[in-house]
Amino acid sequence: MSLLDISSAVFIAAFLLYSGSFMLFTIAIMGRKWSGRKPEEHTARWGKIAFIVSSIGLIFHLIYFFTRWFGAGHIPVSNMYEFMTFLSMMVMVAFTVMYAIYRKVILGLFAVPISIIVMAYAAVFPQEVQPLIPSLQSNYLKIHVTLAALGESFFAVGFAAGLMYLLRTVNFSSKEKADRKQQRLIEFTLFSIIVIIGFLGSVFAFRGAGYETVFVRPNVTIDSAGQENSTIEKVSYRMPPIVAPHNSEIESFQSFLGMKEPLFEAPSWMNGVNAGRKFNTVIWSILSGLLLYGILRLIVRKPLGAAIHPVMEGIDEGDLDEITYRAIAIGFPIFTLGALIFAMIWAQIAWGRFWGWDPKEVWALVTWLFYSAYLHLRLARGWQGRKSAWLAVLGFLVVMFTLVGVNLVIAGLHSYAGTD
Amino acid sequence: MSEREAFITNTKCECGHQNPVGTVLCEACGKPLGKESDWGENLEMRYDGVARRSQRVNPSIIDRVWNFFSSVKIAIYLIVLTLLGSMLGTIFPQESTFLNIDASSYYKQEYGTAGDIYYKLGLSHTYESWWFVTLLVMIGASLVICSLDRVLPLYKALTRQKIRKHRQFLTRQKAVLVTEVQEEPEAWVARVVQPMRKKGYRVKTDGGALLAEKHRFSRWGPYVIHIGLIIFLLAVLARGLPGLNMDQHLAFPQGEITQIPDTTYYLKNEKFTVEFYTDEEMPEEFRGKKILPKLFQTKAVLYKCTADCADPTKEPQLTEATTHNIQVNSPLDYKGLKAYQFDYDLTPVLRSVQPVLKNSTTGESYGKFKLDMKNPQRTITAGPYTMTLKEKYMDFGLNEDGQPISKSPYPNAPAFLFLIQGPNLPAEGQQYFYFPKQVDKSQFQQVAINDKLGGSNRFLELEVDNMSDVDFSESTTYLNIRIDRAMPFVWLGAAIVMLGLILGFYWQHRRIWLTVINGELILGGHTNKNWFGFRREIVFILEKVDMVVDEKSIDNGGGLT
Repeated sequence: MSLLDISSAVFIAAFLLYSGSFMLFTIAIMGRKWSGRKPEEHTARWGKIAFIVSSIGLIFHLIYFFTRWFGAGHIPVSNMYEFMTFLSMMVMVAFTVMYAIYRKVILGLFAVPISIIVMAYAAVFPQEVQPLIPSLQSNYLKIHVTLAALGESFFAVGFAAGLMYLLRTVNFSSKEKADRKQQRLIEFTLFSIIVIIGFLGSVFAFRGAGYETVFVRPNVTIDSAGQENSTIEKVSYRMPPIVAPHNSEIESFQSFLGMKEPLFEAPSWMNGVNAGRKFNTVIWSILSGLLLYGILRLIVRKPLGAAIHPVMEGIDEGDLDEITYRAIAIGFPIFTLGALIFAMIWAQIAWGRFWGWDPKEVWALVTWLFYSAYLHLRLARGWQGRKSAWLAVLGFLVVMFTLVGVNLVIAGLHSYAGTD
Repeated sequence: MSEREAFITNTKCECGHQNPVGTVLCEACGKPLGKESDWGENLEMRYDGVARRSQRVNPSIIDRVWNFFSSVKIAIYLIVLTLLGSMLGTIFPQESTFLNIDASSYYKQEYGTAGDIYYKLGLSHTYESWWFVTLLVMIGASLVICSLDRVLPLYKALTRQKIRKHRQFLTRQKAVLVTEVQEEPEAWVARVVQPMRKKGYRVKTDGGALLAEKHRFSRWGPYVIHIGLIIFLLAVLARGLPGLNMDQHLAFPQGEITQIPDTTYYLKNEKFTVEFYTDEEMPEEFRGKKILPKLFQTKAVLYKCTADCADPTKEPQLTEATTHNIQVNSPLDYKGLKAYQFDYDLTPVLRSVQPVLKNSTTGESYGKFKLDMKNPQRTITAGPYTMTLKEKYMDFGLNEDGQPISKSPYPNAPAFLFLIQGPNLPAEGQQYFYFPKQVDKSQFQQVAINDKLGGSNRFLELEVDNMSDVDFSESTTYLNIRIDRAMPFVWLGAAIVMLGLILGFYWQHRRIWLTVINGELILGGHTNKNWFGFRREIVFILEKVDMVVDEKSIDNGGGLT
């Protein structure tokens, strides 16, 4: 067995351990009323077991990381798969740090699944070890990417704690207008998370079934010398095409549930053959998200927020508010150093300019400005509790857009990260 | 609201201290000022309740500007506007990402109506637009004024702390403990000093009163961050000043010493190398499908001109300054002049030819001479003939009027127009067009042009006999040459920001006040963050003097920051 094989096996073990730890955290919190023991005792006991399991998972995750490093000959943070696996590891590191400080079992119930989702998202991307292109051959790859991911992971824990604060404090039984608005926003946040799970579910389901349909699209461009260049672009759909690329023809079509052709074609402004495929993925994610959400609603028979709310009972809301803030306060300097300062130093060495308003750079700045505003609002304008929690939730959305959205939608110089 | 009301309230405290207008907590004893109905449950401890410059009565124009920029609310608006503005700039690629485009038509053509609107709103150059730069300058102003407005009063307040505080001040902190103490006040206070010192507190006592404080430097963190940001912003602005900044992209054909314009430096590309990963180094899935570059490297020698630099009649005298293998992550760096690997071109470039002037009717040859593409000689003598170079075109083409022009400064299609004088030629001489490259010769019809210029009975031709008489440069490397004198200040600013962040976020300023009076202990505690850890520490200290307290019981509500 080569190092890389060990690495993959250990990675799966870490994934399973995290999933186990998540279940144990669930038992620790949900089972406290039925266990016959005193609720605090039950939670403390099972919480401890869950934390031990998650820590073993983290050790496995670290083994994955270092075996892949030595197996590949370079630090595994150079493409989207590697970065996402690393980010999930850092989320666990940030969780472990915050857990060590505050010893709140409930934190595991919300932070561990973030790591699991990020790990599953990593598996969407090609997993081969790629050699480094010249611009990535630098020691700054080691510190820029890793520190940026660590800072963002603390923001992720801040997001988890902020969401917990909201689930704890929003009045789900009230019919008042202001409360209804909060309930709806919470529900929307939870639905968005379910859409991401839906996306992962559909990717892996269709991949497992080996689904593929291919479209071709003639593409005529006129180059600078006035010469017409005709090329044929090919795109392979790994999900049944509800929407075909604009102006395309079917090369091969695998029928799905009696569907023999795409239902409609992407609008013309969705230029490029991949835009149609991405749009199709979005539609599938929302459909499967809706399906999943519908099933969950049928099971619990009330809004998901209202269903989770009782779980949070007895948790001190002040502690949750503080954990949210503290996670962000710990992450902010790390993020500044990794995502901005080291990024600027590296850009200066590799590209000759420390700042070039590349979309990825701009979004790192947007993230930084967002959390700066958060800190000013909290420290100087006294935004605590609910407003602050909402900002922590929204902030993580900005982080995720910077990490994933920019590559999917905008691209730019960081495009070597390669996205699906 | 409450600030304005404070202007008309009497600011003299009951302890006799006269406070400036705008003071929230008495500078001496800490008793909250203003109407009792305005007091919240917890005290407003920001900047320790001192008055700031921005709270002056009857503000002048300067005061008003000062007040505007000293407001944190305004600062947050500025941050949010900059954030939104930055986001707008990423919707479509910025103009600066393209090398040669006509922006006025490009955006419409590529992105349709939305692109056209984007261009017309000026968002295609968001980050250079007046409003974006104004926002950055305003953030700079806000950084300076916000900091000055707060740091000076805060400094005063923290260096002049009184140990004995008003009861109201203590009991309305966010960490409070009021409990019975049987011992003599002074004895009890003396006993608690040791465990506090052990925890790193600096402790001062005044009879039955005590003040313990640690990590005050953490309070300066935000101001250090702001100073760093100001230096950073000023350095960035300074980069726009002439002479501090140079940025050019230049082509360096292999084997040639090329001058770097506007400097006395010359750079020679001794060898350019590009390597790709072999199939064995690639993952199986990529083999035969993808080509990944492994190395781009320019072996460069930098020369400095020491004499005859500006004299066109003399060869400049060069001395070697440094050598470096320039790679993507390893630029050449010589006294602030930097050369970055930017691009390359593997098309061979013609450097010189050695043609022979021949008589096409007799076959007689008048001798070989060297014709350099970049720096050709002005006059050439070949046998009895004199050739004068009239025109040189590096990249031959015809303009709209049919006149010959050079389309670029690169020797893609070099062409030379000579005036030949000598025996059997008209007195004013005969014009002759010469295309050294065989392809150009037929494409631009050299023979037809020359027949037109010299008439059908011309007999002189320039020809290259042998391939060894043609000299090519194998490849060209493109380097980005930069000088940026403001960079050290950019890094200094960033380093100071980082220092401030660490000071401000990884330490907390903690203070504990207590008084023992009439058998009662009144303890108040304040920290600027991490109340959780602070409460735990207070409980730990009290345990050492045999007082068992629950962590939650000293939480006086809202203590969350």
